[in-house]
Amino acid sequence: MTHRMQLIVLVTVLLLAGIASVLYKHYALGFPINPAEVETVWTVEARIAFKGNGDPITVRLRLPDSVRPPITTAQPREGDYRFSIIEQDGQRLARWRADGSLGEQVLRLRFTDNPDQHRSGLPGVLNPPTELPEALSSEAQGLVAQLQTNQPTHAQLVARTLNLVNVGNDPTVLLLLGSDRSRLAKVNLAVDLLRRAGVPAQVVRGVELMDNARNQSLRSLLEVHDGERWHIWDDREAKRLPHRQVLILGREGEPMLDVFGGTNSSIQFATLREQRGAFQAAVDAGRLQSNVLVDFSIYSLPLADQSAFKLLLMIPIGALVVVLLRNIVGLRTSGTFMPVLIALAFQQTTLLVGVMLFLVVVGIGLLARSYLSRLNLLLVPRIAAVLVTVIVIYGAIGIVSHKLGMDAGLRVMLFPMVILSWTIERMSILWEEDGPREVFIQGGGSLITAVLAYLLMSNRLLGDILFLYPELLLVVLAIVIMLGRYSGYRLTELRRFEPMERY
Amino acid sequence: MFGFISPRKLRAAGVVGMNRRNARFIGPNNRRRFYKRVDDKLQTKLLCEQHNIKVPRLLGVVRLQHQISELKDFLPPLQQFVIKPANGSGGKGILVITGRDGDRYLKASGKALTLTELEHHVSNILSGLYSLGGLPDVAFFEALVIADDSLKEFSFEGVPDIRVILYHGYPVMAMARLSTRRSDGKANLHQGAVGVGLDLATGHALNAVQFSRPLERHPDTGKALKDLKVPHWRELLVLASRGYEMSELGYLGVDLVLDQNLGPLVLELNARPGLSIQLANGAGLAPRLKAIERIHGPKRDPEQRVNAALQALSALPVRDV
Repeated sequence: MTHRMQLIVLVTVLLLAGIASVLYKHYALGFPINPAEVETVWTVEARIAFKGNGDPITVRLRLPDSVRPPITTAQPREGDYRFSIIEQDGQRLARWRADGSLGEQVLRLRFTDNPDQHRSGLPGVLNPPTELPEALSSEAQGLVAQLQTNQPTHAQLVARTLNLVNVGNDPTVLLLLGSDRSRLAKVNLAVDLLRRAGVPAQVVRGVELMDNARNQSLRSLLEVHDGERWHIWDDREAKRLPHRQVLILGREGEPMLDVFGGTNSSIQFATLREQRGAFQAAVDAGRLQSNVLVDFSIYSLPLADQSAFKLLLMIPIGALVVVLLRNIVGLRTSGTFMPVLIALAFQQTTLLVGVMLFLVVVGIGLLARSYLSRLNLLLVPRIAAVLVTVIVIYGAIGIVSHKLGMDAGLRVMLFPMVILSWTIERMSILWEEDGPREVFIQGGGSLITAVLAYLLMSNRLLGDILFLYPELLLVVLAIVIMLGRYSGYRLTELRRFEPMERY
Repeated sequence: MFGFISPRKLRAAGVVGMNRRNARFIGPNNRRRFYKRVDDKLQTKLLCEQHNIKVPRLLGVVRLQHQISELKDFLPPLQQFVIKPANGSGGKGILVITGRDGDRYLKASGKALTLTELEHHVSNILSGLYSLGGLPDVAFFEALVIADDSLKEFSFEGVPDIRVILYHGYPVMAMARLSTRRSDGKANLHQGAVGVGLDLATGHALNAVQFSRPLERHPDTGKALKDLKVPHWRELLVLASRGYEMSELGYLGVDLVLDQNLGPLVLELNARPGLSIQLANGAGLAPRLKAIERIHGPKRDPEQRVNAALQALSALPVRDV
């Protein structure tokens, strides 16, 4: 394979790998594009209580699809219950099993619910309206006609129906309800009336998600279809509830909690709202699925090391700036990647202070070095002497600025002193060999490169995106390799060779 | 426009840029292990002598500090000589002695130095004061070059030198480099020396530049630069071309001087010759390098290469001036 082909293949592979994994993480793992995106999740704790009757116990609780790991359980005595998450008929269930025991049993289940994944409408067949004796049927029909006067909107119709049923003083309603005047009966009646009016409706059971709410029971809610989508209605208040606000466990009549080997079972919920970075949520989910891309990534590191890595991830951006400025623009810098290190120091000092400190340190350093050169020292001792001088300058700047009440000067300590010593040494040789002109060209070039690198490297959005998608480094690598083959003119050469135009 | 030339025009002129020079011409043609043949001036000199390439005569070498004590026996018979560090760059550490005043040594400027001062200078060279990276170095003594009369007036102090670019051993472009007050007697263009493009066939001046900007007259001597004509031109080209066999570098700059008595001599070689030579010539290197690539192949001796190159390059269309 020719070099050119190899290069094309390599660059293509890098680009594809980088971009594909970014897309995969975004679409399959739910990584956000905007790192600052915040999402609301709910921590829900279900408390299941029942009386054991001595038979082997099996408890099953239905888990909606929006429930996300971590799913943990707490139990009365360690090891009594064997907990597992199982799938049955396409439905996720939390299951506890234990040998029979007597007396009060309490099981707790804690999980995270992502309200963005609440689905509207539960799959299944809608039952037709209840069969009623003919007399009642015509009464009901009359009620429906009454509800539909003045052609109410969908929402108005539902609200009217619920109000009518709730108030409970309409003789026809009382007649239809019969002796059972429980909430459930009333909701069922509302469903029945709505169905007769041609509106698909059903009763579901769920928990309303409220911050810091404890001891909530499962409650029945009305779900109606407006021709486009399902809506949830609070039957008591006769108002619509956003899907995000309700965790639906299932349709009325479906088993949500099964307890075998126990009696008097009850379930109560505590809900707590949490705000967290969408990205953190995606990472957590990815780790729990043992996704290789997430598990073997920087996210598996301790938090403190992650932030160090975050800084490291920006260095390739700085290197890219150097490549662009040197090979495409044609700026000359003193020391190839010295500007990147200076840019890193700028991150801590802020730009203006950083540039000033840099100029002061290098300026004084050059003066000191010009004296040292008269002593005809050998290279290593000479640089060591410059290094000592640089440290003395650091100390002096720090102390003086502190005394003057400008603590910004203290941040001089963050400059890479060994690199600066070498810079001073190199510039000093440059001064002697090629004159001050070249020193200003290269020094200025270094500073411009450092400032540009700093501006990019300190960009929070860029930093967060790289942290989210470190795969983008492959893309950076591909770009650097491509630039490495750039054999066209540098921008400065257009100026340098300008006289060619005059010939 | 705005002091910039469009890349299109630059390409039309055949100008080779830094990126292209490195990627296309130096990278594939110059093997790294041969670099030391040209980076170490003493080694270059010894290799040149092996290949019968004329160089300023080597008088002596000092490799170790304790050999410095032998200088007191070695130097007194010499009237004129030059002390150079083998790895010095940009003319650093070069000391030119043009005459004697009793037991004192006179620099070109007339300043007199004692033997002790000379010994100190050599010691500095050995300890790496002038070498790249400060590595321990070697000092050597060579005979002083007497600039040819025809060129003397074109240079302020310092001997003018002639840079020839060789591609696969074929000369492709040449210029004279004249030192100025600004360049402190050195012949490096980026230090302010004047570059005068030379007609490869005749050795006559074409254009002249200083700091990449055209000029007509030497800034210090006032001589009209278009009057410059290098004598012994053909002999010089052939000598330069022999640098190829010696260095085995495909893209090479050969620096020569013209000695009043000895004719053309090779001073040093350069594996990364600069690109300003194109400005001095008012012509791009690219068409010439491509022309050489077309005739490159059969084994030719330096003389044949010069002929072949001149023939191939004369066939190139001449750009309107």
